[in-house]
Amino acid sequence: MNPILSYIIFLPMLLSLLMGTIRVPLHVLRLGAILSSILVFILVLFVGLSFEPEGGMQFIRVLPWIEHYGITYYIGVDALSFVILALIALLMPLLYLYMWKEKRKGYWYNMMLLQTGVTGAVLSLDMILFYLFWETMLLPIFIMIGRYGNGMRQFNAMKIVLMTILGSMTMLFSILYLGYEFYSLNGWWSFALSDLQTLHFNPVTSIWLAGGFLLAFAIKIPLLGFHTWMAPAYGSAPTPTVVILSAIMAKLGVYGLWRFGYGLFEETLSYYAPIIMTLAIIGLLYYAVHAIMEQNLRRMFAYSSGSHLSLIALGIFLLNSYAWSGSLYFIATHALSSAGIFIMIGLLYSRVKSVRIDSLGGIASVAPRFAFFFTFFALSIAGLPGTGGFVAELLIIIGAFKVHVWIGILTATTMLTSMLYIFWMLQRTLFGSTNSSTMTFADLNIREMTMLVPIMLLLLISGIVPSLFFPLFEPQITATLQEVMLTIGGR
Amino acid sequence: MIEELFWIFPMMIVVVGAFVLMLLSQSLSLQKLNLVAVFFLSLSFLNELQRLGSGIVHYSFADIFGKMYIIDDFSTLFDLMFTAGAILTLLINSDYFKSRKYYTGEYFALILFSVFGMMTLAHANELVTAFIALEIASLSIYALVGYHKYNQISSEAMMKYMILGSMTGAFFMLGTALIYGAVGSTNLGDIALYINAPIANDLTLVLTGGTFIMVTILFKIGAVPFHAWIVDVYHGAPFPVTMFMASTFKIAIFAIALRLYLIDFSSVNIIWSEMLQVITVLTLIGGSFLAITQTSIKRMLAGSSIVHSGYMLIALSSIGLGSEMAAPAIMFYLISYFLSAAGAFGILSFIASGSTKVMTYEHFKGFSERRPYLSAMMAIFMLSLSGFPSTIGFLAKFYIFTSAIESGQILLAGLGILTAFISVYYYFKLIAMMYFYPSTQAQRHFPFDFSGILIGVMAMMVILGGVGTSLIPFLPSADGLIEIAKQAIESLQSGV
Repeated sequence: MNPILSYIIFLPMLLSLLMGTIRVPLHVLRLGAILSSILVFILVLFVGLSFEPEGGMQFIRVLPWIEHYGITYYIGVDALSFVILALIALLMPLLYLYMWKEKRKGYWYNMMLLQTGVTGAVLSLDMILFYLFWETMLLPIFIMIGRYGNGMRQFNAMKIVLMTILGSMTMLFSILYLGYEFYSLNGWWSFALSDLQTLHFNPVTSIWLAGGFLLAFAIKIPLLGFHTWMAPAYGSAPTPTVVILSAIMAKLGVYGLWRFGYGLFEETLSYYAPIIMTLAIIGLLYYAVHAIMEQNLRRMFAYSSGSHLSLIALGIFLLNSYAWSGSLYFIATHALSSAGIFIMIGLLYSRVKSVRIDSLGGIASVAPRFAFFFTFFALSIAGLPGTGGFVAELLIIIGAFKVHVWIGILTATTMLTSMLYIFWMLQRTLFGSTNSSTMTFADLNIREMTMLVPIMLLLLISGIVPSLFFPLFEPQITATLQEVMLTIGGR
Repeated sequence: MIEELFWIFPMMIVVVGAFVLMLLSQSLSLQKLNLVAVFFLSLSFLNELQRLGSGIVHYSFADIFGKMYIIDDFSTLFDLMFTAGAILTLLINSDYFKSRKYYTGEYFALILFSVFGMMTLAHANELVTAFIALEIASLSIYALVGYHKYNQISSEAMMKYMILGSMTGAFFMLGTALIYGAVGSTNLGDIALYINAPIANDLTLVLTGGTFIMVTILFKIGAVPFHAWIVDVYHGAPFPVTMFMASTFKIAIFAIALRLYLIDFSSVNIIWSEMLQVITVLTLIGGSFLAITQTSIKRMLAGSSIVHSGYMLIALSSIGLGSEMAAPAIMFYLISYFLSAAGAFGILSFIASGSTKVMTYEHFKGFSERRPYLSAMMAIFMLSLSGFPSTIGFLAKFYIFTSAIESGQILLAGLGILTAFISVYYYFKLIAMMYFYPSTQAQRHFPFDFSGILIGVMAMMVILGGVGTSLIPFLPSADGLIEIAKQAIESLQSGV
């Protein structure tokens, strides 16, 4: 019963509430935010040091919350959630570094609350607790986009909130049904994931219930058809929020699919698998084509992010160890590289006040350091060999070929299409001749380099020596996969 | 005899207060009258507070009145909400009547009379008593709605409400008469005995009577198709009165509804559940449409209060289908709705005390820059009303939907969740208005006043009720409140 995870979850929120109520001045707020994120990072490091890859759920803490309905404060970490937890803990200090000059206080408060929301969602193992964090993390996003965003920010903030809540509501319905079913079978209430996993349903009910969960995750990822919030939201959100949206929130959709989809509905998912795989494959191509045509850099990488997340979702449904390892690895590496590229776009925007490709050009000649980092992150998105993304994509593609040759071929196009839009975009933004707005483009300063170098190093390490990281989640993947195969095979 | 007076002391003190206020209405200033009214109400509130949770069921003046007047945990909990609602209405709006010329001293007496009516309604164990109590409460409310007598909208609202309300009140009387015709008594215990008699009685008249009574109840809570008055009346009434009606009077109706349909008609409830289901569906959908199209915040909240009635109706029909959790769920929902609605209307009337404008969404543009604390509280109330997790509103909806699933009304639970989703739009719209637009007036101010603190306390309670764990001692948070609700329902069932 180690309380360390609770500290990790609630430290940023408590600190922000404290600072909010006593209305601290900006520099104290900034210091507090950065300190809290560094403290959380140290705590996460501590968790990582005593983490046992084969230990399953660790650092479990169960406290009663609403005893009448068996709702508990039940948190714990395993390999999968640790990967995302570590990503959040790593990205937050870097984002604060990015926000260093930000003068609007609400920005800082919301980011701190957001950290609590996403961390809590990753660590909670009680369905109601999970739902609580899953919903509340929307609130800072809503405020950030609507208040500090650009373009049609009010409309887009409303859109992302409504679409995501629609998914959450169907998930809530499924959760309630599961909880009640557990009660009627056992005579006592529980919403703990481990308890609900013992339930079995007839196929029809199960399909409906799984559908409730899947809608929530499909909107969050977003799969094709559930994606209309994505480009507008990415386009209007301020940079730190975009980073969180693409690096963390979208990954939470995949995480939910894995944790709750496979945790609760192993058999039923095989009913949905063809639909989701089709959507993912079409999405993969559709988003990529969209990205090629897009003039707005943020929207372009929104679509690119959608394309890669479809790939991850596809990998999860392929059900073999290559694809699963690849998907999990891609969650981590894509989070890093998309964080990198969106920070670069944010830096670009702060310099030239535009993210439209046709207003850029020739940056490489005036700002070589910027061009270097920009190219690196853009290529890491495209899966440049030597970066982690390459390893992950390769694994998923191998996994896809193992399932069916055509799935493999379609999946492999992702590398091709992403090369297409990345290189064309690089050519039009960094090279060519400078125009009036890029003429005086300031190169990266020390602060900006400090926040980019760690991401770059991690991407390189993950690409060159992936064997460093694989032992962390390999045992869990093998175990879960075996379990799933056993259930599906046993039908 | 003296002991009996002690039992009815909380009710008595309110009536006495009302008469004192009437006598003083010309001689004291409004501020002082306000404090006098609050004094009497607080006396009653404190007295009830120490009585809560005792589990005692007592029939007051049983030798004179029979079992007309019951005192149990159930009624105590409701009394607490009524007095708290009235106290909050009076204190939060202490600035409101300063800027309004039409306010006179009788206003406070009327509030106290209607609180007395509601309290009696919660205690009534007999249909005629219930009717008289309902009329005492309603008549005071009619007068309060039309309090701005030189204002056309206010007068129109009053006329509309009074005519429709009296007409539906007649249904209650008719139902009572029919039941009396069959049973030969209007005491709830006798009616229950008649219905559950070992040799089956002819229930036609009783059931018809019960349906008529239900019409009155549905009208008062604003269920579709009896909802036509609600938006106009809420709109026309002065802000404090709207706050009082929405947060307090609505709860009072559920007091009698629960007592009737949980005790009296418990074994035949199933007959109405189909009718209730249809009405619930209509209420949820109709209320959502009404709320979503409004531009004035007051009218939006009025429309959304119809939807909230719909949620409680879900649980009411679940009771009939044999859900154990439904009745405590309604109690919990009432507490949650009371806190959130009183808070939201409180903020509205608090803001309105300075101006005479109609509050539309537009007026809230940039509100967070002008009044950061107040807008944060408003956001909390909106989140709670929309059932966002980490507020008490979420848990309330959680209980309601679980009870619906328990009773097998899965589609109804689904519809409830869908309307909860729709409600996200019109509540979040207000949050968006407050936070997403720059302020038109530049100045920010943080006035330190009592009303603000009260609203703040309510916002804290909304949050505490949503996340508060059973780990925090002494404070009835999420866990404690459902316990209190359960006890109240148990005391109700043990009463017969």
